Amino acid sequence: MNCELKPKDRIGTINPIFTCQPCGAQYASIGIEDCIGIVHGGQGCVMFVRLLISQHLKESFEIASSSVHEDGAVFGALDRVEEAVDVLLMRYPNVKVVPIITTCSTEVIGDDVDGVVTKLQDELLSVKYPDREVHLIPIHTPSFVGSMVTGYDVAVRDFVKYFSKKDKPSFKLNLITGWVNPGDVKELKHLLAEMQVDATVLFEIESFDSPLMPDKSAVSHGSTTIQDLVGTADAQGTIALNRYEGGQAAKWLQTRWDVPAIIGPTPIGIRNTDTFLRNVKEMTGKPIPESLVRERGIAIDAITDLAHMFLADKRVAIYGNPDLVIGLAEFCLDLEMKPKLLLLGDENAGYADDPRIAALKENVDYPMEIVTNADLFELEDRIKNGLELDLILGHSKGRFVAIDNNIPMLRVGFPTYDRAGMYRHPVVGYAGATWLAEQMANVIFTDMEYKKNKEWILNVW
Amino acid sequence: MTKITHSVVSDHPFPNDAAAADAALAAWEALDDVTRDRVDVMVDWIMKYCLWQFHSRAWDRTRQNAGILSITATLLCDEPYTPQTPDEKVYWVDAVTLARNYRKICPWLADMSKDEIKSLVTALHARIEYLTVTGSLNEELTDQHY
Amino acid sequence: MPYHEFDCSKCLPERQKHAVVKGAGDNLTTALPLGYLNTIPGSISERGCAYCGAKHVIGTPMKDVIHMSHGPVGCTYDTWQTKRYISDNNNFQLKYTFATDVREKHIVFGAEAMLKQNIIEAFKACPDIKRMTIYQTCATALIGDDINAVAQEVMDEMPDVDIFVCNSPGFGGPSQSGGHHKINIAWINDKVGTVEPEITSDYVINYVGEYNIQGDQEVMLDYFTRMGIQVLSTFTGNGTYDGLRAMHRAHLNVLECARSAEYICNELRARYGIPRLDIDGFGFEPLAQSLRKIGMFFGIEDRAEAIIAEETARWKPELDWYKERLKGKKVCLWPGGSKLWHWAHAIEEEMGVKVVSVYTKFGHQGDMEKGIARCGEDALAIDDPNELEGLEAMERLKPDVIFTGKRPGEVAKKIGVPYLNAHAYHNGPWKGWEGWVRFARDIYNAIYSPIHQLALVDISKDEIATDRGFLTQRLLSDRTLAEEIRTSTRLREYTGTYDPIAALRKKNPPYFTPMAAAAE
Repeated sequence: MNCELKPKDRIGTINPIFTCQPCGAQYASIGIEDCIGIVHGGQGCVMFVRLLISQHLKESFEIASSSVHEDGAVFGALDRVEEAVDVLLMRYPNVKVVPIITTCSTEVIGDDVDGVVTKLQDELLSVKYPDREVHLIPIHTPSFVGSMVTGYDVAVRDFVKYFSKKDKPSFKLNLITGWVNPGDVKELKHLLAEMQVDATVLFEIESFDSPLMPDKSAVSHGSTTIQDLVGTADAQGTIALNRYEGGQAAKWLQTRWDVPAIIGPTPIGIRNTDTFLRNVKEMTGKPIPESLVRERGIAIDAITDLAHMFLADKRVAIYGNPDLVIGLAEFCLDLEMKPKLLLLGDENAGYADDPRIAALKENVDYPMEIVTNADLFELEDRIKNGLELDLILGHSKGRFVAIDNNIPMLRVGFPTYDRAGMYRHPVVGYAGATWLAEQMANVIFTDMEYKKNKEWILNVW
Repeated sequence: MTKITHSVVSDHPFPNDAAAADAALAAWEALDDVTRDRVDVMVDWIMKYCLWQFHSRAWDRTRQNAGILSITATLLCDEPYTPQTPDEKVYWVDAVTLARNYRKICPWLADMSKDEIKSLVTALHARIEYLTVTGSLNEELTDQHY
Repeated sequence: MPYHEFDCSKCLPERQKHAVVKGAGDNLTTALPLGYLNTIPGSISERGCAYCGAKHVIGTPMKDVIHMSHGPVGCTYDTWQTKRYISDNNNFQLKYTFATDVREKHIVFGAEAMLKQNIIEAFKACPDIKRMTIYQTCATALIGDDINAVAQEVMDEMPDVDIFVCNSPGFGGPSQSGGHHKINIAWINDKVGTVEPEITSDYVINYVGEYNIQGDQEVMLDYFTRMGIQVLSTFTGNGTYDGLRAMHRAHLNVLECARSAEYICNELRARYGIPRLDIDGFGFEPLAQSLRKIGMFFGIEDRAEAIIAEETARWKPELDWYKERLKGKKVCLWPGGSKLWHWAHAIEEEMGVKVVSVYTKFGHQGDMEKGIARCGEDALAIDDPNELEGLEAMERLKPDVIFTGKRPGEVAKKIGVPYLNAHAYHNGPWKGWEGWVRFARDIYNAIYSPIHQLALVDISKDEIATDRGFLTQRLLSDRTLAEEIRTSTRLREYTGTYDPIAALRKKNPPYFTPMAAAAE
C-alpha cells in the first residue's frame, strides 16, 4: 500500500496545527444571533481566542469570560458563572442564548455547570428576568480532550440538542456547514438558491464579512436564529458537509427526530460539489438546474487551462481541519497533483474508519503519508529530511515552514490572518474549486518568478 | 434566589496614613499663595517628566522622595555634592536632572537665597510625599511585598 | 472624587470607582480609579490571564530558548504568533512553540512522566538549543505536577542543558500582571547569579522591561553601544537566557516597562545593590533625558549628548512636520499598561495631539497614577475597561484615533475611528528618535486616510464630490494649515526606510573601547 495513516512518533507538540476545544465552541457560538457565550475558565481562554478569530475575520464580536481567579480554582467557581450570566443579561438586553463553555480548569475542578444552569433557571431567570427569553446551554469542552475541531462538533450538537423541537414538518433542509468562512456560506447558499432549496444554515456567518457604514451602525454577528435551531427537527433532511464538524449534530437529529442525514462529502472540488448537489437533489427531489451546469462548466473551463499544464505532478503537503484537508487532497488528485503529506492535528478515532481515507489508501499510486496527532514540526522535519514539495496548503500558523524553506504556500483553512481577505473567498462549490485552482497556480507562478525557475514559460499562455 | 455578590474589593487600607495626610494638607493650605504656586510648578514638572516618585510601595516612595529631593536642594543651593554609593549616584542623577530643569522653568529661583530655596524644596518634598504617599489613593502602597 | 459613571455600567455598582475624569485642580489624591481587582465575570473585559503574562509577555521574547507550556495545546497555540517581538537570531522564539499536549489520561494519572519525555524530545528536535523555559498552565497546576522536580531530573541527566520553570497558571491573579510578577520572582530566585559573564566595558547595565517590539530593543541597544555601555542582558526582548542569568553583575538596571518588570529590578536592588533607574524610550525629550541620566551615572554624559545632538538634528524637522498636522487631534490612549504613561505626555507635547482618555487593561493603580499624572485636564481614565464602556467612551469623546489592541481596533473601525496597534505597533519600531517619527507618521496616516474620509460619506444622502478622482493625506491635512508651515523648508516628511533594524544589525559594535583596554 502506498498510502499510510499513522500518528506522529513524538509525544509532545511543536508548533500545533490546532488549538483546543473551547475555541471550536466559541467559533460555533458566534454564528448564532443574540448569542454571547460565557467561557468558564481563565480569561486567556477567551481573550486569545477572540483575538485569533478576530485576526482571521478582521472583525470583532462578543464572547464573555467567567474570569476564574485563584480562589475559584481552589474553592470552585460556579459563583463566577452565576455572576457572569447576570452581568451579561443586565448589560446586553438583546442576548437570548448563552452557551456556558467549559475549559480544562473548570472541568478539572469539577464545577457542576449543568447544575448551576438549573439553579440559575429556577432562581435568577425566573425571579429577575421572568419575561425574558434566555437559554443557558452548558457545553463541555475540556481542553485536554479532542481539539478545536471536536469542540466545534460538540457545540453544534449541543445547540441542536437544546433547541430542536418537533412541530410541523417543513420542506427545509438543514445544512450544517462545518468550520467554514463567510465566503463559503455565501457560496453554499447560492448553490441551494439555484436549486430552489430552502435551507436552515448552521451557522449563518456570512454577515461576518460586514460593512463599515456611514451611520456607524454595522456590527458583526451571526444570523442563525433560535427559530432556525428549533426548526431543525422538522426539516426534511440534514446534510452535514463535514464529518468531523457537525456530523454529530446530524446523527443526533436522525436518531432523535428521524431527520434523515447525509454526512459529507465536503464539497471541495468539482467532484465533491457534484456529489453534494446530487445529495441535495436526492433529499429534496429538486433537479439540478441548467444554471449550475453552466457554472460548473465555467469552473471546469478555468481549471482546464491550469491542470495538466501547470498543476500536474506538483507535490503538495496539506494540513489543517480533517474534512478540509481530505477535501483538498481529493481535489488535488483530480487536478493531477500529488498530495504527498496530509497532516491532521488531532487523533480522532474516526479517522481509521473514514471511507475517504480508506479510498486514498487503496488507490493512491505513489507514496503518501497521512499523519494524525500531527504538528507543524512534522512538516518541517520531513522537508529537512528530503521531502520535496512544490506547494503547501494550510493556515497561517505554518507560515514560517513555507517562508524558511522557500516553498510556495496557499493560505487556506483557519486561521488565515497573514493574507488579505481569505475569509471572503469560498473553497467549497464550483466557485471554490475555481478559486483554489487559480490561487494555487498563482502562488506557484509568483514563486517561479522569485526563484527565476522557468519564469519565462508564462510569456506565452 | 441566588444572591449575587460582586466581590470586588481590596484588602489594603488607604489612604495609607490618614493622620499624616490630614497634617500634610493642613500644612499645604497654611503656605502662602506664592509658595504654593511655585511648588505647583515644580510638582508639575516632576509629574510630567519623572518616574522615580512612583515606585510601588509606600516605604520605597518615601525613600526615593527623600533621597532625590534632598540632593536637589543641595544642588539648587550650589553646594557641593559627591555621590558615594550606587544608590546615591542614581539619586544624584535624577536630582541633577531636576535641578537643571528647575533652573530653566523657575526663573525666580535665581533671586532666592539658599535658605529660601531649602525651605521651598522642603515644601515641595512635603507636597510630593503627600501626593504620592500619605494622601495617595493607591491601595497597593502598603502591600508588604513587591 | 470625580468618578465617571458609564450608562452601560450603572447596573454594576462595583464598576463605579473604576473610571475618573481628571478635572481642573485634580491631583492623584483626588482622582484615581481602583485597579488590579478581580474582574467582574461577564463584563467582557479585555484582560488576559496570568499564564500569558508570564509566558507570552515576558518569557517568550527570550530568543535562544525552547519555550514549552505544560498543558493542553491551546495555551501555547493561542499565544503563539500574536506579537511582534522579533530577535536577531532569525526569530527562533517567534517561530517555535512547544506544548506537552496534556490529555485526559494525564489529567487522571499525572503528567510528570510525559513532561520528562517531552523535554528530552524537544532538545532532540532542536539540537542547537540548550536552554528551556517551562510554563505551568491551569490544567497542570490543578493536577499538581511538580515541574521543578522533573526539570531538575533532566538537568542532572543532561549537564549541558538548563531549564527554567515558571509556575503561573492562568487563574493566578486578576490579569496577566499576576504572571509578570511570578516570572520576575522565579527568575531572580532560580536563575540570576548562576552564570558569570564576561565584562567588556566599564559601564554595564541590564536593560529591563523591554520586549523588542518591531526592534525597539535593537534601537536602544545601538544608543547604549554608541555610548560604550555593555548591555549584559535585556529582560527580555531579544535577550539571551544566559545573559539574563548574569544580571547580578550589572552596575545599573535601566527599567523601561515598570509594570511588567519592576519586581526584578527591586529584587536586584535589594539583593545585589544594583540601583534602578526608570527611563522612557519614547519621545525625543524623555529619551534624551533618559540617555543623559545613564551617561551621567557613568560619567560619560558627553557621549549621550553627542547622540542626542546628532539624532535630534536628523529627526526633529520630520517630527515637527507631523506635529504641525496633528495639533489638537483627539486620542484615546488605550494600551495594556506601560504605554499609558510612556506616551501620555510625550505625544501631547511632541506631536501636539490631545489625550482625551487613557485606560489600562491589566495594570495596577500605580500605572494609573503615572498615567493620570502625565495627562492633561478632562482626560477620562478607565481601569479594566470592558467592551460597552469602550464604545460609550468613544461615542462621548469622539476621538480622531485610538491606540489599542487588534480586536478592540476592529470595534473602533466600525464606528469610524481609525486605530493604531498600541501593543504590536503599525509600522514600528516606535522607540528611539526615528521610531518616534515613525509613530507620528503612523498616526498621521491613520487620521488623514482618504479611505477614512470616504467611510463617513453616505452616498444616498450626502453630496458626492466630483472635483477630483482622488484625495491624498496632504490634501486633507494641509487644508487649514498656515501658508508658512505648508511651504516650510525646515520641515519634512519621514525619510527613513521600511525596515531600519536591518541596517542596525549590520553595524559592528562596540563603538567605544573600554577604558581599561584603552589604557593598555
